[in-house]
Amino acid sequence: MSLPNDDNMSAHSQLSSHFFEDLLDSIIVDVASECHRVARLGLDRNFEEEEEELRLSAQARARVADSSNNGETNSKYVVDIFGQTHPAVANEIFECMNCGRSIVAGRFAPHLEKCMGKGRKARLKVTRSATAAQNRYTRGSPGSSYSSYSNSTGMNRLSNGASSGVAGEEYSNGSFEEL
Amino acid sequence: MSAKRSSINRPPTPDVDRDRENQEPTLQEIINIKMIESGEKERLKELLRERLIECGWRDEMKSLCRAYTRKKGRNNVTVDDLVHVITPKGRASVPDPVKAELLQRIRSFLASTAT
Repeated sequence: MSLPNDDNMSAHSQLSSHFFEDLLDSIIVDVASECHRVARLGLDRNFEEEEEELRLSAQARARVADSSNNGETNSKYVVDIFGQTHPAVANEIFECMNCGRSIVAGRFAPHLEKCMGKGRKARLKVTRSATAAQNRYTRGSPGSSYSSYSNSTGMNRLSNGASSGVAGEEYSNGSFEEL
Repeated sequence: MSAKRSSINRPPTPDVDRDRENQEPTLQEIINIKMIESGEKERLKELLRERLIECGWRDEMKSLCRAYTRKKGRNNVTVDDLVHVITPKGRASVPDPVKAELLQRIRSFLASTAT
């Protein structure tokens, strides 16, 4: 800030400070008045819970500080905000809708990759029914193309019974019958 | 009945003698009046209020009030209590840039209108 180089300046500074204090006091009274109003009218909806929340957040902070070092090694026992622990690999067991096998949930995605053809190896197996599905989709009704997706290794679930073999076999000239 | 009786219902009119104290309005008072009349005081107050909201000062003061209210009981607090609760912390915790900005504005007002 500029140095006061004569009395006039310092008197000005004093005066300025005085006015600043004046403004600040006025604003303080405004804030106090509003808080008083909120308090007396009971407008603060979180009023009761605040103490509890403060206590719990202090607790949580302590817990985080405590176990933050163990987080990586001990990931099985980390607690989330609802107090639940989660094992590293989800352990519910599902049936794959594609191949019907029982798969652990945590391994489901990689299984589906192989099973449904996202991966390289799986794609080789499925070539026939993939192209068949494409052809069928462009010619037939959407209903029929659904059934082609449901087999990859030859398990046939066609409901219309038009062809009992692998779907779409030898059908490039449109000999497929639809019901 | 040599002594004058002052009216029961209103404060006595200041004597000519007593007026000596009030005779010269201080520089401070003059400037204060100028500030109010020109509207600058109101503008400065709004500016300060805005800056204090932006920097979270107001929220801090409100939380102090809430804490005090919880201790004292919702219906036992007075405005005066709350003013006393927040004034020391309030005055001390105004951020420097905010204070500097306001002082700057006030100073330029003084320079433009005062002696």
